[in-house]
Amino acid sequence: MFQTIQVAKGVNIHTRTTDQFKTVNFSVKFKRPLTVEDASERTVLTNVLQHSSAKYPSTAAMRMYLDDLYGTVLYFDTTKRGDEHTVLLNVETVNDQYLKNGEVLGKVLELMNTVLFEPNFDNGVFRENIVAREKEMVIERIQSVFDDKSRYAQQKLLNIMRPNHPASISANGTIEDVKKVTPTSLVKTYEEMLADDLIDIYVVGDIDEKTIVESLKKALPFADRTVEHATNPTVESKPTETFVSEQQDMKQGKLHIGYHTPVTFTHPDFPKMQIFNGVFGGYPHAKLFMNVREKESMAYYCSSSYSAQYGLVFVISGIDANKEKKAISLIDEQLVAIQKGDITDLELAQTKAMLTNQIKEALDSARGQIEIYDQYKDLPTEFSVENMAAKWQAVTKEDVVNMAKQVEKETVYFLRGKEDAAE
Amino acid sequence: MKTIEFDQLDETLYYEKLDNGLDVYILPKKGFSKTFVTFTTKYGSIDRSFIPLGETEAITVPDGIAHFLEHKMFEKEDGDVFQKFGEKGASANAFTSFTRTAYLFSATDHLYESTKTLLDFVQQPYFTEQTVEKEKGIIGQEITMYDDQPDWRLYFGTIENMFHEHPVKIDIAGTIESIDDITADHLYTCYNTFYHPSNMLLFVIGAVEPEKMMDFIRADQADKTFEEPTPIQRIEVTEPTDVAVKSSTLEMDVLKPKVIVGIKAKETSLSGKAMLKHELSIQLALDVLFGRSSDFYTSVYEKGMIDESYSYDFSLEKGFGFALIGSDTNQTDELVEAIQNVLQNTQEKWPFGDDELERVKRRKIGFYLRALNSIEFIANQFTRYAFNDMNLFDAVPVIEELTIADVQQAFASLQGESQQTVFKILPVGNKAKTSNDKEGQE
Repeated sequence: MFQTIQVAKGVNIHTRTTDQFKTVNFSVKFKRPLTVEDASERTVLTNVLQHSSAKYPSTAAMRMYLDDLYGTVLYFDTTKRGDEHTVLLNVETVNDQYLKNGEVLGKVLELMNTVLFEPNFDNGVFRENIVAREKEMVIERIQSVFDDKSRYAQQKLLNIMRPNHPASISANGTIEDVKKVTPTSLVKTYEEMLADDLIDIYVVGDIDEKTIVESLKKALPFADRTVEHATNPTVESKPTETFVSEQQDMKQGKLHIGYHTPVTFTHPDFPKMQIFNGVFGGYPHAKLFMNVREKESMAYYCSSSYSAQYGLVFVISGIDANKEKKAISLIDEQLVAIQKGDITDLELAQTKAMLTNQIKEALDSARGQIEIYDQYKDLPTEFSVENMAAKWQAVTKEDVVNMAKQVEKETVYFLRGKEDAAE
Repeated sequence: MKTIEFDQLDETLYYEKLDNGLDVYILPKKGFSKTFVTFTTKYGSIDRSFIPLGETEAITVPDGIAHFLEHKMFEKEDGDVFQKFGEKGASANAFTSFTRTAYLFSATDHLYESTKTLLDFVQQPYFTEQTVEKEKGIIGQEITMYDDQPDWRLYFGTIENMFHEHPVKIDIAGTIESIDDITADHLYTCYNTFYHPSNMLLFVIGAVEPEKMMDFIRADQADKTFEEPTPIQRIEVTEPTDVAVKSSTLEMDVLKPKVIVGIKAKETSLSGKAMLKHELSIQLALDVLFGRSSDFYTSVYEKGMIDESYSYDFSLEKGFGFALIGSDTNQTDELVEAIQNVLQNTQEKWPFGDDELERVKRRKIGFYLRALNSIEFIANQFTRYAFNDMNLFDAVPVIEELTIADVQQAFASLQGESQQTVFKILPVGNKAKTSNDKEGQE
């Protein structure tokens, strides 16, 4: 799917030439082991780099230039996968052929060089006032989770299930650690990121492979680095409690249930586990949707998701606070039903068809192509839709039963509203 | 079947108006493996008072009925339509807005079977008192979910402030009380009035052979029987230009206050190219005045008056329109004042010229070209444009032609202190008491 070229030790460029899109997409990914301190530092760093560089010291200066480049989109972000933290620089620019005039692509590559290699330093460190301002922005972002009750409830569940573990560490870090960031510590973080991180650079678009690789080598001159990724020792982390309920001034109760499975992304049973999740609550034909929503009329949403990197499954539903017990036992019943083999051929066929469709659809966007390839490229077998589809097709009812039997409920978190709020 | 070429964009659109009045558009996109199909009726939450098909007296139906109807279309005598799409691996969905109800699916396989499922389920209503009752619990939870979302409450609170009479101020899903009044008969009345093919548009985009698909749809529609198309008689309301409520506040369990300044649109009678020009002009003016490269943005960002939640937007439909500018902020009053100052200054002396306009025009053109990679964006937006007699693919050429005079003239329709309102959400217990505050809903 992508052509990969190693341009330095630990630095790879992956290109994909296609005329499917009217834009060219870049993604530069800086990867290192995930820790709370690093996540906090690196998130502040991305904000600072985004909003200020030596050439474009203010947001407005930067934005004006991006506007001139036909609204080229350029942003930094932080994400995590498994025990790895990623700083990414995503860029999307219009393909020159659709413009009446304009040599945009070359300027965009220059700009990528500018934002990464020409920081806005004062006496060798990032500017104090900008660092202070962007720390505040990151703190606000972390705090805003509280105002989104579903995200808040999910974060709480994770903190209870896997305290001090990559599963519960936010890619943005914590308020406490963001506060500790200084202009000097940020320089260290910045330099380590450029020098030591594993780097994957992606390009998708109507491009000439050779030319773009040469241009990227010039624009992003990364040196060799140690390829051995110092992985964290596996952190043992167990749920602190099995049931936690909290009350806030709100109307709907948010029920979040966490389960454990020994099957993770790299496990040979991963495709079977995906089918299990689909039958359980992954789709509108799934047991949770059909029973909790359609049959009992108790909820607008009730679904499951499978976090394969951490071997976790989550069920979420919005319900009336006084229906908590009923909802939990109804959800339990759906899992038991699958464990007992109550799975129709239709449910199995629907789930296989949906998974296949979903991955094909995801590959219809440049970002989807980059993200899926980036995730699957480290697996021993080469990624292709056909490979995945064949694995799903081979999954039997017995396999799904077997998966369900290994799924173990660990923690229930219920965020309830005021007792009479829903009246 | 007609073809419409958009040379600069390298796209070809296929179009036919079928005998029953249905507008069908097909846009093949090379390189895509999925196909996205939307089937949309020009019927949304604002269509609450009308003369039902074949009758003479106007009625007003319970709030939230268009959305309720959308939910109920998925349930049939032989079960849930999601199941049928699921068998073919197609993801189906639907949404109701102020002016539209759309049913859609995307698929990478079995395109014709799923297209048939879509056409059949939308064109074969099945409502019983029992299934209607059952849905009330589900939609009740949906309403409650939205009630707990501060950003939704902020958005709707601002709209409620702006309008005196226009039904845009009524929440799309209605309330738990209003949906309780809905019956199967109501649903049939609304369905029969608004779901005639002549009030609908079908859009197919992605991996599709246009001739074959058009033949398939034509044959399917020819096999079905429909009444003769009759013009829909909606009851129009008279809406003043000034806002209904100047300022109000709601308390919620949030950490950081939120505020929106809403500006009610005066010019809401346009359609076609004039509407496109007007809408784009206002968006470009807002980009210069409130965009991330504006002096305003730099100033409030550096003063910590806004954060990453900052946004501004302009929406326009026939009969209503509004601009919204807002952010989470600990300095609600200061931010409101800063926004109002920009508006005031713009009214006193026009603040920008060709250079600034040229820059935001480039940005906007880039936005459309990027958006044209998304078949979901094209299908949804194309339909919205078409229902207002505009063409999505005209946007780029129209932007290229816009002048400062166009922008200035369009923006003038938003200028007037009486068109402005402010809505705030404050953390529980922090509510600022002001005399003109409207009480929150709790």
